[in-house]
Amino acid sequence: MQNKANGFANPWLQLALSVVFVTLSELLLKRGATETAHLAGRWSWTGLSSLASPYVWLGILLVVFSFITWLHVLRYIPLSVAFPISQVVHVLIPLCSWLFLGEFISDLRWCGIALVSLGLAIVAKPVARLEERL
Amino acid sequence: MNRSALALVLIALIAFVAGQLVLKNAMEASNAAGFGSKKFLAPFAIGILFMTISFFLILGLLQRFDLSYIYPFQGLSVIIISVAAAGLLQEKLTARLLIGAALISAGVVLVSIS
Repeated sequence: MQNKANGFANPWLQLALSVVFVTLSELLLKRGATETAHLAGRWSWTGLSSLASPYVWLGILLVVFSFITWLHVLRYIPLSVAFPISQVVHVLIPLCSWLFLGEFISDLRWCGIALVSLGLAIVAKPVARLEERL
Repeated sequence: MNRSALALVLIALIAFVAGQLVLKNAMEASNAAGFGSKKFLAPFAIGILFMTISFFLILGLLQRFDLSYIYPFQGLSVIIISVAAAGLLQEKLTARLLIGAALISAGVVLVSIS
């Protein structure tokens, strides 16, 4: 088994893809769920009625992709580094909801987003330096 | 939130953390032993099981409680996973990584409750 992974198999690229897939899937699931919210039915409380939307199916596909890329990440990057970095989704999802879905972000939430960003910068900086040397 | 709900939140959190740790273990084994070996398949199956348990526990909790009650606990998973990976998987944990993980945890909790 190879221990180095370059090109498309580069674990940092896969981590970035995983994060993008999670963010896109959440936006698609939200859009699909909103679209199908009017569909009343006995099982509507389970969320299953949202399967009527193609956005939801695309969202599910991206959830699967994000899981596969995440497993690839786990092969090469320590969990104590990869997992904190994956939390960048808590910055990306609110920002994208604000930009593309017109959602409101409170002051306290902006503070949370700033805290996560600061923590990410602290975790990622020595990693970036390490990668440069290689 | 009553005591049994809190217990369910904690069990879901523990299952999530355990799932990530076991999956990490499985993927490392796949590096050395390949995808056909028991060293990969056994922890992989257990990891998927833990993640599934956590997923449905949270789904059930979401039916009865607001998102802002449930998700702050998920934020704690960042710091717990980093510490547990150092303790159980012998990963190197620097002070810098610990501070970063703690800030991210605090930030995720803040985003969830606001």
